[in-house]
Amino acid sequence: MKPSRDSLSEALASWRATPPADPNFRQAVWQRIGRQADSSWPAYVRSHAAVWSLIAVIALGAAGYSGSAVARAHVRADRDAIVVTYLVDLDPRVQAVLKP
Amino acid sequence: MAMKYFAGTLAVLVLAAAATGFICFQLSSDPKLHAAAAQGDALLWLRTDFHLTDAQFAAIRQLHDSYAGTCGEHCRMIQEATRARDALAAAHGDAAALDAANRQLQGLRLVCETAITRHVRQVATLMAPEDGRRYLALVLPKIAAFDHLAAPDLHLNRPH
Repeated sequence: MKPSRDSLSEALASWRATPPADPNFRQAVWQRIGRQADSSWPAYVRSHAAVWSLIAVIALGAAGYSGSAVARAHVRADRDAIVVTYLVDLDPRVQAVLKP
Repeated sequence: MAMKYFAGTLAVLVLAAAATGFICFQLSSDPKLHAAAAQGDALLWLRTDFHLTDAQFAAIRQLHDSYAGTCGEHCRMIQEATRARDALAAAHGDAAALDAANRQLQGLRLVCETAITRHVRQVATLMAPEDGRRYLALVLPKIAAFDHLAAPDLHLNRPH
């Protein structure tokens, strides 16, 4: 004899599952997320995008500024040197000292 | 594995920063000015740094050539006056004569400074107005600062 639909519904309604609490549940979830984030290089970069973006902006900005500053210093030094060369050729006061 | 990705990302970033620095260095450099300074070619510097046309360059070259005679004459007079002054100083002779020799030397140097200033102002008039102003701003303060003796940091090793 098959149980009636009503008795099955009653059995399901009265059923209670009480699994034991797992204290490592959260930790295990984060470990799984971490493993997934480090599964490939793009995934690693995506998962640390904020930090790497900040580092990239600072590093590229500093490198660009430094390169430009060094070049400007070279230009200034070159110009100072050539102005002195030019004036040495023009200035008899200096020529009088240089000539034997 | 994470350490490997960290190192790889860092290496890429270092390369990108080096490339950025190099590109910015190149963009801010002036290779023609550097070449002129390395060769000690002042006329090349004038031509490139002040955007001289062929006609302007020829006129300035002519002006420089004509000034060279004046410069040589002033140089000779200063040398003679310096020798005379030094001879008086070495002889420990007449103080009044030594003062007069010093005054003569100072006068010659002043004449010389005036002549250079006039010459560079003439050169500036041959340039475009903005370039002329920039040229004078570069050159005039240095003329005033040039001492009667070559300063030790000028690296003056090119007598003409």
